[in-house]
Amino acid sequence: MSGLGAVLAAGLILLAVAAAADLLMGVRHARWRALPYVAGAAGSTCVLAAGAGALAGRSVTVPGSNLLGLVTVASRGGRLVFSATDGLAADRLSGLFLVIAFGAAVPVSLAFASWARTAAAPARRGLGASYALALGAVAVIMTARDAFTFLFGWESLTLAFWLLSGFERERRGRSAAALITLGFGRLSGAALLAGFLLLVSRSGGLSLAALAGVPPGGLRATACVLLLAGFAVKVGLVPFQVWLPRGYAAAPGPARAVMAGVAVNVGFYGLWRTLALLGPPPVAVTDILLILASITAVLGISHAAVQTSLQRVIAYSSVENAGLILAGFGVALVGAAERSSLLMAAGLLAGTLQIVAHTAAKSLLFASSAGVEAAMGTDNLDDLRGSVRRARWSGTGLAIGSLTLAGLPPTAGFVSEWFLLEALMQQFRVTGLSDRLVLAVTGAAVALTAGFAGVAFVRIIGLVVLGQPSRPGTAERCRSGLAGRTGIVLLAAACLVVAALTPLEIRVISAGLAPVVPTHAVSAALKTPWVLQPVFAGFSILSPSWLWIMMPVLLAAVVIVALLASGKGLVRVRRVPAWRSATAGVTGHDSYTAFGFANPTRRVLAAILHTRSAVIRYDSSPAAANGHAADAAHVGFSSDVIEVTEEYLYLPLRRPFRRLVRLAQRLQSGRLDAYLAYMLIALLAVLAVVAGLH
Amino acid sequence: MTATDYEVAPSIPALWDKLAAEIPGAGRLADLFGTQREDGVLLTAQLAGTGGFGTFDVLLPAGQDRYPALTPRVAAAFWYEREIHDLLGVIPVGHPRLEPLVLPTKSEALPRPGNGIHPVSIEPDPGLVPLHAVGPGLFTIPHGPVRSGVVESIEYLVETPGEEIPHLNMRAFYKHRGIEKRFEGMAARDGVVLAERAEGIASVAHAIAYCEAVERAAGASVPWPATLVRVLHAELERLAWHLDVILRLADGSGLAVATARFGWHKEEVLRLTGQLCGSRFGRGVVVPGGVPALPRLAPGPLLTAIGALDRRVTADIRLLMATASFLDRLRRTGPLTSDRAREHGALGPIGRASGYEDDGRRSRPYAAYGSLGFAVPTRQEGDALARLEVRVDDIASSFHLLRQATDELAETGDEQLRAECDLSDGRAVGWAEGPHGEVLYDVSFSGGVLTRCRTRSASFHNLVLMHEVFRGDILTDFPFIEASFGLSIAGVAG
Amino acid sequence: MWALRGLRQGILTTRWPRHPDEYAAAARGPAAVLRDAHTSGLTELDAAGLCPTAAISLAGPGNVRVDQGACIQCGRCVARYPEIFGWSAGVRSATLSRAQLTMPPAESPAALAELSAGLRQRTRALQRSVHLRHVDAGSDGSEEWEILALLNPVYDIHRLGIFLTASPRHADILLVTGAGAHGMAEPLRETYEAMPHPKVVIAVGTDACGGGLISPSYATAGGIGAIVPVDVWLPGSPPTPFAILSAILLGLGRLPESGLRAAAAGRER
Repeated sequence: MSGLGAVLAAGLILLAVAAAADLLMGVRHARWRALPYVAGAAGSTCVLAAGAGALAGRSVTVPGSNLLGLVTVASRGGRLVFSATDGLAADRLSGLFLVIAFGAAVPVSLAFASWARTAAAPARRGLGASYALALGAVAVIMTARDAFTFLFGWESLTLAFWLLSGFERERRGRSAAALITLGFGRLSGAALLAGFLLLVSRSGGLSLAALAGVPPGGLRATACVLLLAGFAVKVGLVPFQVWLPRGYAAAPGPARAVMAGVAVNVGFYGLWRTLALLGPPPVAVTDILLILASITAVLGISHAAVQTSLQRVIAYSSVENAGLILAGFGVALVGAAERSSLLMAAGLLAGTLQIVAHTAAKSLLFASSAGVEAAMGTDNLDDLRGSVRRARWSGTGLAIGSLTLAGLPPTAGFVSEWFLLEALMQQFRVTGLSDRLVLAVTGAAVALTAGFAGVAFVRIIGLVVLGQPSRPGTAERCRSGLAGRTGIVLLAAACLVVAALTPLEIRVISAGLAPVVPTHAVSAALKTPWVLQPVFAGFSILSPSWLWIMMPVLLAAVVIVALLASGKGLVRVRRVPAWRSATAGVTGHDSYTAFGFANPTRRVLAAILHTRSAVIRYDSSPAAANGHAADAAHVGFSSDVIEVTEEYLYLPLRRPFRRLVRLAQRLQSGRLDAYLAYMLIALLAVLAVVAGLH
Repeated sequence: MTATDYEVAPSIPALWDKLAAEIPGAGRLADLFGTQREDGVLLTAQLAGTGGFGTFDVLLPAGQDRYPALTPRVAAAFWYEREIHDLLGVIPVGHPRLEPLVLPTKSEALPRPGNGIHPVSIEPDPGLVPLHAVGPGLFTIPHGPVRSGVVESIEYLVETPGEEIPHLNMRAFYKHRGIEKRFEGMAARDGVVLAERAEGIASVAHAIAYCEAVERAAGASVPWPATLVRVLHAELERLAWHLDVILRLADGSGLAVATARFGWHKEEVLRLTGQLCGSRFGRGVVVPGGVPALPRLAPGPLLTAIGALDRRVTADIRLLMATASFLDRLRRTGPLTSDRAREHGALGPIGRASGYEDDGRRSRPYAAYGSLGFAVPTRQEGDALARLEVRVDDIASSFHLLRQATDELAETGDEQLRAECDLSDGRAVGWAEGPHGEVLYDVSFSGGVLTRCRTRSASFHNLVLMHEVFRGDILTDFPFIEASFGLSIAGVAG
Repeated sequence: MWALRGLRQGILTTRWPRHPDEYAAAARGPAAVLRDAHTSGLTELDAAGLCPTAAISLAGPGNVRVDQGACIQCGRCVARYPEIFGWSAGVRSATLSRAQLTMPPAESPAALAELSAGLRQRTRALQRSVHLRHVDAGSDGSEEWEILALLNPVYDIHRLGIFLTASPRHADILLVTGAGAHGMAEPLRETYEAMPHPKVVIAVGTDACGGGLISPSYATAGGIGAIVPVDVWLPGSPPTPFAILSAILLGLGRLPESGLRAAAAGRER
């Protein structure tokens, strides 16, 4: 085991310690509640260091014999061989994703540590263990060398997701959310299993490198599609995105950040690894992927713009970002099919930059929203107005995360969206007509998404973070501890500073993408050390570092000129209540609510959202039917949107599914002789198949 | 029905039965008010019919402060009973929404019009007006009382989910001035000066209604030239008001040149009025018995001025009614159904646009209207465009009337302009069709001094319909609906 | 279409106050005692019963005083005693203090000059661009028409750098009409507080100056002087647009106060 391998193993051990601490000590002692998460933070730091080392090209291996009891079965030359697993090892691609994921995991763990000591944290043990299991599974997946370890880690992650989203099962809707999360997790696991088994049956070994040697053909294409589908379920591509909003919103506190900010990267890692190992899928599949990605992006942001619950807004934004990242990935697939390494580099670079921005911003958003929810006691957007007064650090984090995901300069989200749009605009270099059309449509969809992202996140910043508080909030102002503040500051810094240091980031990414695409192709995005271009020269340029210098300078210049021109008058401030046309007062909301702000969006996007609105009249007595308006609440307004995939794809399948389940239940007769008969039948069938194959 | 019938009804339920029977048919509830007397509160209901009004008095004896409400049977009494409750303190039992309308106060010293005692000061208590509650999904935009633009003070509470306006609420008590109480104790001869200022932009209509009432009580008949001068000024006032409504509609839709031109036309009308009588609003023209003097422009130059004005205004109106972008803003905006207009007895252009016509100039002619020819067209759609079209037709009618009145004036000789009026004792009803609808006065005086002068402006009767005209309209339609109603809040708040 | 029609009309705008305007000169202000009137024939009893708002009083034999802040322009005094009373010029009826509104004026020139200087000092910054905010504190509706008339092309206050604004936070001048209805006292005060310094308050109309014919009433305060501090008093029922414009310019210090308060110009016509 190499030195950095020891660091990686130490990290995994620390995560195990964290899980043990949580299970053994529980939450009885207030002082020890944060221990699992602090241990988790330490473990994440170790894994992060190992990942950074792997990215730099060092060797990071943990041999299989050092891991207890993990045994695989391989078929070599027709004989069954029992051998230890190939262990864990991180190459550059793994290192890149380890850095991304665990770079976010450290601040999230700190935020978790601080949150666990508040009153909002749950009162029973197990959360820390689930959290550690999730992080451990992510590390294992990203450093797996063979299919078995990969699948083992994948299923562990599914289990961890189920534990996390179902942790507060007694609350309404949570158990259903957990079940759906588990179901889709198993679906992705099944797809991956099928894909891997197809490849293993031809390659003769379980190691991932061996899988790459499968000759091209129908089998390889089918396996590739299955693997892509499995990973797509994980990240939330249409039509598999229905579990994301429910699963993410159901998890408690910063566990959402772990699920949506850290763990979702395994899906992207899998996609990148599939491209590295198996190359591009058939052209039709690429086109379908691009179309689905654009639909995902538009659908995700449409729903994010009209939700009434803060967690759902952020969760749907994950769907939108999955669409954006997969659009970049689609460009890379097209480039790979065309054997244009520059186009591939453009697509992968755009996708990876978006992954970085999304990881930082999503972790920040969910960590901050946990703090806001703890301070305000509610999740409804209309009641969260002015939350920055109650929870200053979390509110600011919410604002910065929103700015990043809205793609506003000078944040990292702006740079990644620029790259994505520029990559999509290279469609004129592609020769296939279907590819060109699909890329053009995807580009339009991404632009539309960017516009509505502005609307969706302006609502969060303007009407949730800022504004006059409408509720008194919880009794004490929720003060996030030092760890929480550190976490939020680190993530916010990541959102902002990474943009300024984008050239450095691109160099790091180019090193990380080496297994997939040549480094020089990705480095072609650096026109000069501080000016960026979309890999292809002569198309367009951007310099986020220059933006980071110029925007503050201009702001300072404006302030100075204003001070000079108006003298002392500029800084004299008189605090007065807002002018409300001298009204005698109204109860309830008297200015734009978050619900009302989203109303035009509901109407404009009624085709996508299937909006249904109704004015409800309360009073129907004859005197009032004359139209005489009483001062009691006379009318209410309700507006509902429908998730189209749920409504038209999954709900109709419920009945046949139930019938199938009822049919299967007949087999569960509970009689011993029936079960023995089943086992006998299964054994005979296997023998027949094996005999037939030979 | 003769000019005024006074009937004393035996009991309140009997009177309510009679009203409930007559109103759904040909009748219309024109007014309902209370007078404080020593033996109790006298409730008076005015029923409109062809030729005049039926006035029905019924006494609520002293010591009783409740009576069965009329509103559940006759919906038009909704705001009237609230006003009676505010000013006199009697409670209509069964009223669907008895909240302060013009004077929210808990003080024992209520105005009580008719008792001759003037309270020193009654401060309205906004805390007594229920705080406005909204249903789920809605929020309220409070608009007023200090609103944007140069407008009169009233508060609109616009409930909205973000764009549409499913519901609107109003608070009108801010500019209550106590006009009805101020009349008490004034000399009957001087009351016309205050009547002109009850609703300052309908001065001539109020003055005519008041003077018709006192002349009817004194049995005086106004000389023919005086009636022509009254018609002249009433029609000039109508022109100015309708031009103001068109001005506000054009302003709301951003037609800058149209706004400027109609502002100019309105200024020309006001200047012409000032030239004729010295006051831009026609104040001092109508006095009990007649008019003080003839118009200061001879009929010839006056006809020329009217003709020039007519040409310019008609040309601009023709162009405005051909501007599609403008008409689009008004079409199907703020519709008032015909049934509702009829049930409520909507007055003036608002009623006529929904097919309900009861123009006082035609049904109960006063001044010289009985002898002059003019058209009173109606529309059926009831939306803001229909109200504008009705006003446009009214303008054409007014010019026609102006020309006729001037021609007739040219043919009168040196006749007396003012009849003698013995204003010592009496009670009568007077009415005039103002630009916004019917203005009704019920004047009682004894010993030459007013004891009770009830002024009911069309604004008070019509504004309550604003609750019901918002059907799927959005926030930007609000100024158009308000402008198309064209009412004066001074007449609402009293 | 509209633009062409507008252009064809030519220029309608008055050039007042730079150049004289005959409508402005003829605009009628409140009643006043004529310059060379023989007032000895007027007894105290006559004077008391002459004016519905008791604006006319006899301070001594032959010494007739007219409180223009209470004159509602009903014209009764002018009709009854045309040799004593006449109409003053509308464009010269605005004053800087309430006491100035009684004719003949009672305020000493020194106090007046001090008021005028104070006002000019306050409005130094408002010379080129002024924003007006209007509040209706219980008017009868006609003063609003006359204020709105300032925006039509005949008066066009935009050419003088004067604009109407919707929010009191942007306003420099507060125009208040109405007799001071109790219900509007608090909103009026709130509007006044919401305006930034420097601000000028103009009481537009006789109702605002002294309550007009509406007061005394249980529902009004007898003018707005008790609710907000008033800088310029403008009588008239309603004051003509030229008079309102002169009051605004007086409030901005663009019109000299001296010379405004000459005794009434000659008779009407």
